[in-house]
Amino acid sequence: MAKITLTVNGEKRSAEVEDRTLLANFLRDTLNLTGTHVGCDTSQCGACTVHVDGRAVKSCTMLAAQADGADVLTIEGLAKNGKLHPAQAAFTECHALQCGFCTPGMIMTTAALLKDHPQPTDDEIVHGLEGNLCRCTGYLNIIKAVKRAAELQGK
Amino acid sequence: MYAFQYRKAKTLQEAVDWLAKDEEARPLSGGMTLLPTLKARLAQPSQLIDIAGLAELAGIENKNGVLTIGAATRYYQIATSPVVREVLPALASLVSTVADPQVRNRGTLGGSVANNDPAADSPAAVLALNATVITNKREIAADDFFQGMFTTALEPGELVVKVAFPLPRAAAYCKFPHPASGYAVAGVFIAQTAAGVRVAVTGAGASGVFRWSEAEQALAKDMSAAAIDKLTLAADDINEDIHGSREYRAQLVKVMAGRAAAAISGKK
Amino acid sequence: MDQHHHLFDVGGAHVARLEDLRLIKGEGCYAADWKLPNQAHAAFLRADRAHAKIVSVNTEAARKAKGVLGVYTGTDAFSAGYVKPLSMLTFAGKDGMKARIPDRVVLAHGRVRFVGETVAMVVAETALQAQDAAELIEVEYEELPVVVAPESALADGAPQLHDNVPGNLAFEQEAGDAAAVAAAFAKAAHVTKLKLDCTRVAPSPMEPRACLVGYDAGSGAYTIHVPVQGINMMRMQIATYTGVPDDKLIIKARDVGGGFGQRSIAYTEYVALMIAAKALNRPVKWVATRSEAFMSDSHGRANYITAELALDKDGTFLAMKLDWIADLGAYLHPAGPVSPMRNPVTCLNGVYKTPALFGRWRVALTNTVPVSAYRGAARPEIAYTIERLVDESAAQMNIDPAELRRRNFIPPQAFPYKTPTGSVYDIADFPGVLAKALKLADVAGFAKRRADSEKRGLLRGQGMATVIENSGAGMFPKDEIRLEVAADGNITAYSVSHSQGQGHETTFAQIIGDGLGIPAERIKLRQGIAEQGLIGNHTGGSRTIVGAGTVCSIAAKKLIEHATPLAAEQMGVEPSQVTYANGVFQSTESERKITLGELAAKKPLTVTGEGKFGSTFPNGCHIAEVEIDPQTGVTDVVSYVTVDDCGTVINHTIVEGQMHGAVAQGWGQIFGENIVYDPETGQLLTGSFADYPMPKAGWIRDITIADHTTFGTISPLGVKGMGESGCTASLGALANAVMNALRPLGVPPLDMPLTAHKLWQAIAAAKKGH
Repeated sequence: MAKITLTVNGEKRSAEVEDRTLLANFLRDTLNLTGTHVGCDTSQCGACTVHVDGRAVKSCTMLAAQADGADVLTIEGLAKNGKLHPAQAAFTECHALQCGFCTPGMIMTTAALLKDHPQPTDDEIVHGLEGNLCRCTGYLNIIKAVKRAAELQGK
Repeated sequence: MYAFQYRKAKTLQEAVDWLAKDEEARPLSGGMTLLPTLKARLAQPSQLIDIAGLAELAGIENKNGVLTIGAATRYYQIATSPVVREVLPALASLVSTVADPQVRNRGTLGGSVANNDPAADSPAAVLALNATVITNKREIAADDFFQGMFTTALEPGELVVKVAFPLPRAAAYCKFPHPASGYAVAGVFIAQTAAGVRVAVTGAGASGVFRWSEAEQALAKDMSAAAIDKLTLAADDINEDIHGSREYRAQLVKVMAGRAAAAISGKK
Repeated sequence: MDQHHHLFDVGGAHVARLEDLRLIKGEGCYAADWKLPNQAHAAFLRADRAHAKIVSVNTEAARKAKGVLGVYTGTDAFSAGYVKPLSMLTFAGKDGMKARIPDRVVLAHGRVRFVGETVAMVVAETALQAQDAAELIEVEYEELPVVVAPESALADGAPQLHDNVPGNLAFEQEAGDAAAVAAAFAKAAHVTKLKLDCTRVAPSPMEPRACLVGYDAGSGAYTIHVPVQGINMMRMQIATYTGVPDDKLIIKARDVGGGFGQRSIAYTEYVALMIAAKALNRPVKWVATRSEAFMSDSHGRANYITAELALDKDGTFLAMKLDWIADLGAYLHPAGPVSPMRNPVTCLNGVYKTPALFGRWRVALTNTVPVSAYRGAARPEIAYTIERLVDESAAQMNIDPAELRRRNFIPPQAFPYKTPTGSVYDIADFPGVLAKALKLADVAGFAKRRADSEKRGLLRGQGMATVIENSGAGMFPKDEIRLEVAADGNITAYSVSHSQGQGHETTFAQIIGDGLGIPAERIKLRQGIAEQGLIGNHTGGSRTIVGAGTVCSIAAKKLIEHATPLAAEQMGVEPSQVTYANGVFQSTESERKITLGELAAKKPLTVTGEGKFGSTFPNGCHIAEVEIDPQTGVTDVVSYVTVDDCGTVINHTIVEGQMHGAVAQGWGQIFGENIVYDPETGQLLTGSFADYPMPKAGWIRDITIADHTTFGTISPLGVKGMGESGCTASLGALANAVMNALRPLGVPPLDMPLTAHKLWQAIAAAKKGH
């Protein structure tokens, strides 16, 4: 068993977990943060994307133990003081979600992308979304939403 | 995943000791290949020794015409490093084509080099640039390091610590990614150096990354796509699977080589 | 402006979706998010070979493993009697043939027939313990010969999958007029023949399947949390499979992460979990991995069609005939074979006045994952077949493809139009749809664009498809919507038809809000509430807006009718002296008024609207333009235009989103998605997202979307349905564009998947041939 302490959405959390526990399962099962979704088992779909120390990672391909001491941000912690993150606001404004299952991962990836590219080009957006799959939207409105999020963030 | 023990090493020596004591233990760096392998229950290590945080494996340094990158340096750190972008932009651009942003935020150069996946990108850069793989025991020339699919010169308990890239005059990488996995169906890295041209091909080889000597000779005379056009790549060295026949992969190698050559010289 | 159109979505104004807020905050509740106290976890041992006798199953080590609560095998499933799944293939086939429905024990009993079939189930305290223990089960198999290609399965001497399905032929039917077709072909000036493969694909909604079953020993009731397209469809199937009566099956679902047809099935895992939940008297949960999904979720399409079109010298279509083989996999899903038997017949003539039609359909069983509906459910296949034939004919006869279509369209004045196979198309304007699409796609400028591409070393092509599909009609006796008014005037609406992303919470609220004159935001739609006991169709076949959507409007009217006398009573006037507007009843005799909410505060105010509707016929034209790099074979879709007639548009934003997603799925199938089995071993070779190319961001940069509306006559709202039309039209448009680019090189007709590899090979072969 691994004893881990990490910050999740600004709160210190400690737990004892089986060494093989994935970060995604720790968030979902131990902390009950079910907004982080698991859509595949080969690291392709990105539905499980969270931020670890400010960078987007696939929480299904990281052990909870590897996140010991880290600062983790999940979709549940993205809105601050009741105010949606620009990526969240843009996704609904641009109809960038349908079934919503890939959405938390898409939004977390977008939020990270905007940190690296505050005013992303279309190519940067497409390249930045390579690790996230969506089956519903055909991505056009997602690309639109990333641009809109950049605008909202600049305001 | 089968059950295993996770241990985070504090020093390189500690990691080496732990690995030496347990044949079934495996080093864990970014985990971008290892963890999916474990999730598919394709391997059953007793321990995972986390080496990603080791100071000995960190850092990017440009000295005396050699760019040295710590094995645990993550792809995004290489891609965004001002030093790498200035002195070896082809490497920065190569690592930014690896998988996707989330994977680049975790995956490490050393992990990829040590794994020697036949479709990985990094081995092409290491081989074409005639880099030296520095381990906890010795220094290994790239030509000796890669020994076929998922096989390297690394001995049990030997860990990649750094990779030292002699800086070329010019270099470029072109890749045809698999539409699903993003791995190279064919990737070609061309390095133009004082000693000549080196061409390394990944993704297509029947036994992993390899040098394409005919292309090296042709490009030494004429760095252009046209020079590649005249060549024939022996198809029996080329891999074949449901993602591409030998002939198609050979064609893609030529097209990627031509595009990389054109990127260096501007000549089609 | 038409009466229907101004009611909704004026000027295409954007209505933010009402379901979005919880979903963007991570507060959705998908199947894997349900938890019940004291729940145990299940894992399945799956067949690792495609066809084998089960000699023995040794569960001893698994039973002793840490945390294990129970291990269940085919013996348990067989003695529970969970053997016969529902089949909706109840109609007669050729010469009165009755469908041959194989048994399917929910945990394989005696034999396994595809890789991934559920063989045993382990239940343990944790999911990891269950997975660990499942590996300890030892199964001794005796290998049997394997057949994965449907043509081979129907051939003499093929390995036989089921004793009651001789020749692996589960069903055969014919439709149309064979004699008329033969006569027409005999006098035809030109015949075009194509062999077309609508490849097997993995629907792959992003949410993997999951199921949590609770059992109440006192009442004998099961509570089953599961992703659905409608709870009634699921309940009906589980009831049939298990013999447990409807009232002991409480199906629960909230958010569903995509469906595309794949959710309409009572899978073996769900039913097997019931065995464990009852035996252990504990809730049991199972969450599929994506790897399990590839080998156990229903696959889609897998229809293989030989098609011929007869034309006279002017290009008038005289007749079409088909020989259609549907590969349904190792077992029959409840509605799996119904789609390819019914939908192609309903729209067999497409948008054309082809007078003579004939087809023969055969359902083959193979050692592969069972197949069921996938977005369009054989509508895309028949449209693809017809549109490939039309374009190929145009090329062979040197007639402009748009002109050939115009010559053969059912003219606007011919509606309602009875087709040769008995459907009645109520209303459409095919020439108008085509004209608008040609203009938006700038077909006139194509030659210049093609020349420009050629200068850059690229092959450019343009292709179109003009298609129609059947929607509307459902299999349940009616659709019901219940409205419940709260004291604050807010309304809860209940529906069986379940959104898997289509946005019902928004569109239903818009329709109800429009009917009641109150803002959509004040209406909260709740789907999948078993306790409401409503009747209704699942969401599928693009029909929900026609069925449940229309009933929303009916229910709103009914609410006003029902509440008017109550309001009159409260105000002390006659009902005839009451008017209603915007949530308020007003006396015409005095200043007195009472709101819906005030009325509901006095006495519960609930109505149930209902309706049943026949077939509607959405239609459209898509035009794709592609550039192909002959060096690599890579196709870039450089422009894509859709013009659709789905009747009244309730919400343009949602319609566009549906179109984007469906066209992307069509693109995925044409250019790469393809389930591949090893023909010798029946092993699945494309079993993960690392092998199976899902469309990713950047597959196209823009789609031009327009509508050309004729208001449907089946629903009083004028709606026709539209969720699947993007798939139906895009397969043909994209393939025709590729062929248009390659035909000048002498490339013969190619078929999906049009991978870069395949196109490069075809181009190389054509060049060698010159």
